[in-house]
Amino acid sequence: MGDSQYSFSLTTFSPSGKLVQIEHALTAVGSGQTSLGIKASNGVVIATEKKLPSILVDETSVQKIQVLTPNIGVVYSGMGPDSRVLVRKSRKQAEQYNLLYKEPIPVTQLVRETAAVMQEFTQSGGVRPFGVSLLVAGYDDKGPQLYQVDPSGSYFSWKASAMGKNTLYTFSSLYTDDMELEDAIHTAILTLKEGFEGQISGKNIEIGVIEADRTVLTAAQIEDYLQEVE
Amino acid sequence: MSSEGMDGPKLGFSFDLYSRNDMLTKKGLKPPGYLKTGTTIVGLIFKDGVILGADTRATAGPIVADKNCEKIHYMAPNIYCCGAGTAADTEAVTDNISSQLKLHRYHTGRESRVVTALTLLKSHLFRYQGHVSAALVLGGVDVTGPHLHTIYPHGSTDTLPFATMGSGSLAAMAIFESEYREGLTRDEGVNLVTKAICSGIFNDLGSGSNVDICVIEKGKKEYLRNHLTPNPRTYISSKGYAFSKKTEVLLTKITPLKELVDVVQVGGDAMEE
Repeated sequence: MGDSQYSFSLTTFSPSGKLVQIEHALTAVGSGQTSLGIKASNGVVIATEKKLPSILVDETSVQKIQVLTPNIGVVYSGMGPDSRVLVRKSRKQAEQYNLLYKEPIPVTQLVRETAAVMQEFTQSGGVRPFGVSLLVAGYDDKGPQLYQVDPSGSYFSWKASAMGKNTLYTFSSLYTDDMELEDAIHTAILTLKEGFEGQISGKNIEIGVIEADRTVLTAAQIEDYLQEVE
Repeated sequence: MSSEGMDGPKLGFSFDLYSRNDMLTKKGLKPPGYLKTGTTIVGLIFKDGVILGADTRATAGPIVADKNCEKIHYMAPNIYCCGAGTAADTEAVTDNISSQLKLHRYHTGRESRVVTALTLLKSHLFRYQGHVSAALVLGGVDVTGPHLHTIYPHGSTDTLPFATMGSGSLAAMAIFESEYREGLTRDEGVNLVTKAICSGIFNDLGSGSNVDICVIEKGKKEYLRNHLTPNPRTYISSKGYAFSKKTEVLLTKITPLKELVDVVQVGGDAMEE
């Protein structure tokens, strides 16, 4: 498509065997707003800071944590518009799976399909990789699950993960294998607070909770949790 | 279905096999029949919302194929759709549009509107020029209030306070025309719908078995599956079925087909050159 000068892929290998554009995409993610996820024994919690460019921006119109299916949610670090495209594609893929098999899509399947889309954009002509890393949190018959998907298209299952700037590994000290969801929410807030610039409040963070029977995005009780944490 | 020499996406039906089927029909082959629902489906608007009703008989020609099928299909949490005509067509089209509505809800973050479902359904049916044999009664309650529509297989629609479709529609409409009033209460509405469906069940051959009802109000819905079962199976013999033994046994002898033998090694190797 287009001129011969531009019809090569932006993701050609460098002499050292790396794909430079993907490295740059990861840098874009690394300078994005912090987001994190923790898998508990009975659910998953994902959270992100919601720093808006000005106090005049209506914070209720911004929703960084999104629902993909009734039992799968996603949060991102990096370029917001890129994440919107992926969310739209993932929702459609999940719905197509549902139409075909009359079964809610398992978390691993959705992650795999989303990762395939991201990989596609690292091997096509005239496109650039997505500048986001996604944290996909879901609950299906295999229990609570948390996956991270990178711009390269690789995905990992995590017990706890953080992405974006100021990612501190305080997880390892606070995280225990059979954590309860309530503890996980407190840990998530504490971790966010560590790297937070400014005063943390219910208006500048978003929390999503996925349990066996329900997905609550942007908990209205964030203020209560924040007070508990103080 | 050929795929060579095609520009753009394939839309609508593929008529590639038309000439082959025509030749076969001329040679005397009867084409396979399809499952028609031969139905009574109704809907009415009452004081607080919409009530949909349907019978539960599915026919394949003169035979009852399903004595208790579900004709009231889910479209959205606040919208349901009754389907008459070819069972596969009504199932497929309502499933498809229900899926589209779900994606739309995710993208907009809002409750689905009945007119949206209506437009998606009628556009789909019009595109297939009546070959998708689905006659639907669509009802629901959204932010703009309660709505009830009928959709015909070719894609035309009506908006009505009460509606009937299917082979039993005349029997049901007779009940509605004589007893419908505006501002019915929930119980009056349910009774009227039940009466109309029963009229179809007992007077139309294509309809029968039980009555399904769905009541949709603002913020809630009740799916009353088998609300009334006026045709129970009453002829099962309580004694069970026992057949007398007609043959006398005179002698029993068992001969095994294989004999089990023990192999004992006397001396030396079993396998010697």
